[in-house]
Amino acid sequence: MVCRMATFMDLNINFTKDKKTLQNIIETAAHLGYSTVAINYTLESQQKKPEIPKPTSISDLFDKLPVVQGRSRPIRVLNRLTVVATDPSHFRPTTEYKAFDLVAVLPKTEKLFHAACMTFEVDIICVTVTEKQPFHFKRAPVNGAIDRGVFFEIVYTPAIRDSTMRRYTIGNSLGLMETCKGKGVILSSGAERPLELRGPYDIANLGIVFGLSEGDAKAAVSTNCRSVVINGETRTTAFGIIRTMKKPQPAPTSSEEKEDGREIPASKRVKMEH
Amino acid sequence: MVRFKSRYLLCEVCVEDRSSLLLLEERSIYQAVKAAVARAHGDYGSALLILSFAVKYVNAHTGVILIRCRKSHYRILWSALPFISCLENRGQKVPCSINCLHVGGTIRTCQKFLVKYSTQQLHRMLPHCNTEAERGEVRRAVLSCSLEKEQDVEEEEAEEEWDDE
Repeated sequence: MVCRMATFMDLNINFTKDKKTLQNIIETAAHLGYSTVAINYTLESQQKKPEIPKPTSISDLFDKLPVVQGRSRPIRVLNRLTVVATDPSHFRPTTEYKAFDLVAVLPKTEKLFHAACMTFEVDIICVTVTEKQPFHFKRAPVNGAIDRGVFFEIVYTPAIRDSTMRRYTIGNSLGLMETCKGKGVILSSGAERPLELRGPYDIANLGIVFGLSEGDAKAAVSTNCRSVVINGETRTTAFGIIRTMKKPQPAPTSSEEKEDGREIPASKRVKMEH
Repeated sequence: MVRFKSRYLLCEVCVEDRSSLLLLEERSIYQAVKAAVARAHGDYGSALLILSFAVKYVNAHTGVILIRCRKSHYRILWSALPFISCLENRGQKVPCSINCLHVGGTIRTCQKFLVKYSTQQLHRMLPHCNTEAERGEVRRAVLSCSLEKEQDVEEEEAEEEWDDE
């Protein structure tokens, strides 16, 4: 069962100020077999002037990233921002958003959900799991989001913690599956402690309980997550081909240069042309 | 005579504190799994467990457990395993998580997988060894990993020499 083919990703690990906990969580994720994780910074928009948190650089956390179980590469750690939005003005894609590899939004109203699906520049739309869904999912915005390449995320750790949350999680996710027919869903933990993480095959099994079919559940932990990460990368490029990178030398260089350091094969480059 | 087909779930219990692993017992796992299935799948789930559910093997040193259940409903049991958050043993609650490593049709296939997995784990431990003596021990353990005709279970217990920090 230690499969050599699929890469599993967990795109929601809650950020804590405690470095040791974060290190433990990432080590546990590497032990369980996840190739990529993303540290999630939540932005609550209740305050008057919300401060967008700065993502900590990965070299602060680890000198040497732990190696993934079953592979020979170290685990890849990304940064992600989640905006909890109750008002359309809360989500403003400024340059600070560009510092994060992935951007997600958690819409609380029906109007915002529609706007997020059709127009917002996000990679992930989160589904509330801690309370009853205040609005129903309509087919039009859900299909529009799937066409654009935006994925819906279901977090499973509240279900592990508490029995009432479990009902809300399963109920809300079943509602989503009815509308989206199993496409465009990713499953992730919202882990705050290392013991809240679960292995990728266990999560694929949980996906079946949440309403996905067997193939869709496995895709929700592997291929869909990979699509999200690639979509996040294209946000920083122009038409997905050219990327600007700051060269560390002091000599004046032109601002636009082709991919440097990160090689993306030609097949992917063609795919990213929207 | 129709053969009763079973599925064996090979799982690993992850704990924060390795010393509390030594308290692991078949009874505590049995109770925890029964409770989790009852919570997640209700009376139907509990009824399925009456039929053929047993904890076959527990290794307190490494935290590996082997659970047996019927082939027709092993998925229901498997889907309740992520909901286990703590094990209870003689009044002590140990927070833990259960990670499924392999699903096999016979104990033999699970043992073969366990041997391969243990060799992998020993290889992963090698860079963390501090002294040359520890490294030599780990290398010897790797070379002695094998499956023999009899005394299979004891063989695996012997090759698992975890070096605690």
